[in-house]
Amino acid sequence: MAIHEKSLIEAERLKTADHLVIDGVDVSGHWNTMITPRTLCDYDEHFEKTIQKYGGGENVHRCWQCGSCTNSCTMYAQNVNFNPRYWIYLTRLGLKDELLKDKDIIWQCVSCNRCTHICPRDVRPEGVMKALAHWMEEEGITEKSPATVFDEEFWDQIAERGRIEDSEVLKNFFQKTGQELTQDWLVEMIKRMLKHLPFKHLFRSGKNAVMHPRTQSWGRTGEVLKQYVQEQKEAIHG
Amino acid sequence: MSDTVLVVGGGPAGLSAAAGISAAGFKAVLVEKEDRLGGAPILSGYAKLVPSGEWAKDAIGRMVEQVEGDANIQVHKSTKVTKLDGDAGNFTATLSNGDTVQVGSVVLATGFTHFDSINKPEWGFGTFPDVLTTTQMEQMVGSGKITCPSDGRVPERVAILLCVGSRDRQIGREWCSKICCTVSANLAMEIKELSPETEVFIYYMDIRTFGLYEDKFYWKSQEEFKVKYVKARIAEVTASDDGRLLVKGEDTLVKRPIVIPFDIVVHAIGMDPNEDNPEIAETFGVGLEKHGYIDKAETYTNTCGTTRKGIYSCGAAYGPETIDDSIAQGKAAGLRAVADLSRA
Repeated sequence: MAIHEKSLIEAERLKTADHLVIDGVDVSGHWNTMITPRTLCDYDEHFEKTIQKYGGGENVHRCWQCGSCTNSCTMYAQNVNFNPRYWIYLTRLGLKDELLKDKDIIWQCVSCNRCTHICPRDVRPEGVMKALAHWMEEEGITEKSPATVFDEEFWDQIAERGRIEDSEVLKNFFQKTGQELTQDWLVEMIKRMLKHLPFKHLFRSGKNAVMHPRTQSWGRTGEVLKQYVQEQKEAIHG
Repeated sequence: MSDTVLVVGGGPAGLSAAAGISAAGFKAVLVEKEDRLGGAPILSGYAKLVPSGEWAKDAIGRMVEQVEGDANIQVHKSTKVTKLDGDAGNFTATLSNGDTVQVGSVVLATGFTHFDSINKPEWGFGTFPDVLTTTQMEQMVGSGKITCPSDGRVPERVAILLCVGSRDRQIGREWCSKICCTVSANLAMEIKELSPETEVFIYYMDIRTFGLYEDKFYWKSQEEFKVKYVKARIAEVTASDDGRLLVKGEDTLVKRPIVIPFDIVVHAIGMDPNEDNPEIAETFGVGLEKHGYIDKAETYTNTCGTTRKGIYSCGAAYGPETIDDSIAQGKAAGLRAVADLSRA
């Protein structure tokens, strides 16, 4: 007999095999569907420490599950699945699989900080949301946010040349985030520049866009900065 | 007119009562059924007391020394009161050692009996050597080393189950034992102090670290010792093939069944009425309340009273009580009993 009420079971828990032999009995056909149990079989107690290394997550261990964060939450009012209290609990016990079920909404925190100001134990739930989002980004669980892509492009150019080339930052940012290069506002801005700005300035801008000059006496500054940033990251994340 | 009060029970409440009676200029006869004074903290080998943090053997030991060194207090150990004749102001108590004493009033400081975890067999006590009670775990803390009784390994994980023998209609325990939450938070910190690599989880229905115990024990255990609190009432403790224990239940907040491996499971056992209470009630002619503790008189104007005139009570004889409050109530009951002598 097949399982009739499959809609009541999470899809990922239904296992169907074309050919299935259990204890020497061929159960292919109608009996070929199995349901994996819902039981949680272990904690990952190191996960809490991982999240505590990200800025904002330091106080997650203080939580006693009163729910003040969730009931004050701006996003919870929009989406009942947005539940900081619950994610903090999962973080504490290291129930990562449960947490990742909500990976596509955790980043939606708008940082209104109502939770921060209401939390009776000073957990700073907004910080925990940020820490979780950063952890998921670094682990490649979620895509990099546009802001992160922009920051990286900006920083790469600074490290290389001690300066940024506006047009190149924009061009690369649009490319990496899959946006049109010919944005309406950009086209309009260039039109106006052509109309109003002196030729000399336009010429220099154009030249810089092609030549990518370095800031004077930039020397090894970029390498030193990169090394410092790397050391800081390693010091924090191990 | 008698100048003596009979104090029954040599635990914190009884010791405090006897010392108070003597300090007021009267005499006390202290009757203790065990061969040592000190009550549960000494007999069960408690570790550091809540909330003072002082070792039980030192703190309660001082009370014992004070009483044993007091010429106005006559101590009978390994003795019970078998008969009480007379009325308020003029009682005659017969002791199991054959003595009789004339007393004006009586203080019952007869305390409680630890819940016997055998009565919750599904939680593995008596079946698996690594399932312990809080008193056994306190003894282990007292020994200075945290190891699994089965094979001596250092536990990676310890689970403390709250409300074992409390708040459970199935076994007729419809009371909260009041102090187990705080004791468990304290015990968790003691375990972490001795064995920092051990992770301690506390399984709870509610956390009742009342009054000033909130930040001193509950918050501190979380914030400084990283003790983890999991909202789940455990259904069953079993063993896995590798010899570890499996704690089964429902994580209330995740709404999912859990089967989590542990190395030691500790039962935070509650406080039952003293198992001798039926005998005590008959001997002294006092009533018991519905759970089996000594029944209180009207409390506002007859503090420390029982249902019988001239007989007073205090501490855990009335119901689950902390050590500090038992000591305060013992003092109050002793002096209330002395007031009867003055009037007689």
